[in-house]
Amino acid sequence: MAAYALRLLGLREDAEECVNDTWYAVWNKIPPDRPASLGAFLGRITRNLSISRWRRNHAQKRYDGIEILLSELEDCVPSPSTVEASVERQVLAAAISDWLDTLEDTDRWLFIRRYWYADPVKELAAELKEQPNNCSQRLLRSAKGCAFFWNRKEWNYEREGYV
Amino acid sequence: MNGKDMYDGVTDIRDDLIDGAKSSPKRQKRHIKARWFGAVAAVLVLAILGGIFLRPDGGLTVRPDGGLTAYALAEAQYPQMAPYPGEPHTEKEFEDWWESVKAQRRDLGDISSLQAFFRNSSGVFLADTGGQNRVYSPLNVYMALSMLAQLTDGESRGQILTLLGSDSLDTLRRQASDVWNANYRDDGALTSILASSLWLNKGISFNQETLDTLARDFYASSYQGEMGTDAYDKALQEWLNQQTGGLLADQAGNVTMDPETVLALATTVYYQAKWGHEFSEDSTGPRTFHSPTGDIETDFMHQREDQTYYWGEHFAAISQGFEEGGEMWFILPDEGITPEKLLADEEAMEFLFYRKEWENSKFLFVNKSIPKFDVSSQFDLGDGLRKLGVTDVFDPSRADFTPMTTDADVPIAVSGANHAVRVVIDEEGCTAAAFTVMLAAGAAMPPDEEVDFVLDRPFLFCITGDSGLPLFVGIVNIPAGD
Repeated sequence: MAAYALRLLGLREDAEECVNDTWYAVWNKIPPDRPASLGAFLGRITRNLSISRWRRNHAQKRYDGIEILLSELEDCVPSPSTVEASVERQVLAAAISDWLDTLEDTDRWLFIRRYWYADPVKELAAELKEQPNNCSQRLLRSAKGCAFFWNRKEWNYEREGYV
Repeated sequence: MNGKDMYDGVTDIRDDLIDGAKSSPKRQKRHIKARWFGAVAAVLVLAILGGIFLRPDGGLTVRPDGGLTAYALAEAQYPQMAPYPGEPHTEKEFEDWWESVKAQRRDLGDISSLQAFFRNSSGVFLADTGGQNRVYSPLNVYMALSMLAQLTDGESRGQILTLLGSDSLDTLRRQASDVWNANYRDDGALTSILASSLWLNKGISFNQETLDTLARDFYASSYQGEMGTDAYDKALQEWLNQQTGGLLADQAGNVTMDPETVLALATTVYYQAKWGHEFSEDSTGPRTFHSPTGDIETDFMHQREDQTYYWGEHFAAISQGFEEGGEMWFILPDEGITPEKLLADEEAMEFLFYRKEWENSKFLFVNKSIPKFDVSSQFDLGDGLRKLGVTDVFDPSRADFTPMTTDADVPIAVSGANHAVRVVIDEEGCTAAAFTVMLAAGAAMPPDEEVDFVLDRPFLFCITGDSGLPLFVGIVNIPAGD
């Protein structure tokens, strides 16, 4: 978890505080039943705390990891005219999950490792035995595909009552 | 909506997607794919045999005193791999298999000397094809020479070490052992074995310690028998056939040892793998291949895939991955440039043997047209090795084989070094598919989104194993065979 927080925030001191906050949050949040996936449960808390920290402090501090991720994730965003600006978070998550289901194994793995696990592109390229530049291009193509996915007519969220 | 919203959305994707990405795509694939071996013919089957024969320069009396056909003096013990887990399988079966795969991995460290040998030797052994096909296995010859270094001393050994870029016998032994292990896979799903054996004349006294070293570090078994007998020849031929899946039965049938042979050193590579992304049977169809001897009609496989496309000043290239690791590289020279000429091109050789980061590459859709081929070649390595500086082992007056035999007064030299290789790539079905032929110009950037890659004239290929080292390099001038 410490390594994960460090990848997201890039500052050791903040990452350590984030981990402490995660444990505190776990203490308060953990449901009576065991989470279906402990890794996903803990990771989500760390991600949420990291983005909160970024929102709070980014004017003063530079969190390299998360800022690069946010910049890259802008490529997944459809043009404002096609999708409501205020899609609910859970609706968005469900849609992204559905879209991920449509990807080929490697593209899906790459997207999740990069944008959920925050793995560096260089490491992902090494795992896939590809050049980093090509991995970045593959990610960019996926991101554009994600944005395109929102534009498809069948994803009419208003009609579906999502927004 | 903005990047931060997307971040939140990604945060809350389904748990199974998050957990599913814990292991790499290769491991995921193994979880869901049924075991294929034994079901259909392999898409790619390769084999090679190489033999080095040592003979005395005369004066040796061989004692033909009968006895066993061949008996083992030292036997190599191959690593035992857990079988590839079929479906369904338990987590333990999967973990056992995965651990045995990981156990074979080796950090090869600095491989620049290996790369230099692969490059220099390929340039020599693939030159002057005379318009025929030529295939060479750099790793096979590397293993054979490494073993020869163990059997020699003095300048004979020094020349081999220089060619292989090794500063000492110990360094070479460690490296060869690591190379062997890094390329070994025999789990039922992928077969990649560098096999070696020594066939000794029973009239000669051999140094057991040397044979034990070869068995331990080079996984080479040693046999002894009566040279010049049909039974001993048959034993060697059977060993070769067994190691190469019978693919080189014709060539193996020609391998015989006459009574003067002191030792035959046989090395083989057997590699059998399936494409990671199979070619559709429905897309295969006839097309013209412009061979040096004239146009021929042959079956081409077609596939469209988003992948990395590479280019240099005089070539274009792509790779086709195998399901269980390793890949096959196809290098198409520009029009007017032969594969042999490309072997003298600095940039092309850099790409073939040193490629790590390649600036001239682009990820896009590639429309591939690749001829099915079955190519083989057989040639003697002697002249090439002499050109590469290994001369003394061929000269009875200079060769020093003292680590091999205690019969110090016997002048021994290498009398022959045969190298036979066959490469087959295949798939099922045949229906034509039309593609626009756009010959990729070497120096030009490909179009933005899509490129055609048509291997309809002589080309180079290179097959790398999971270790990334070149198992085979070849020139295809006539896809349908010689």
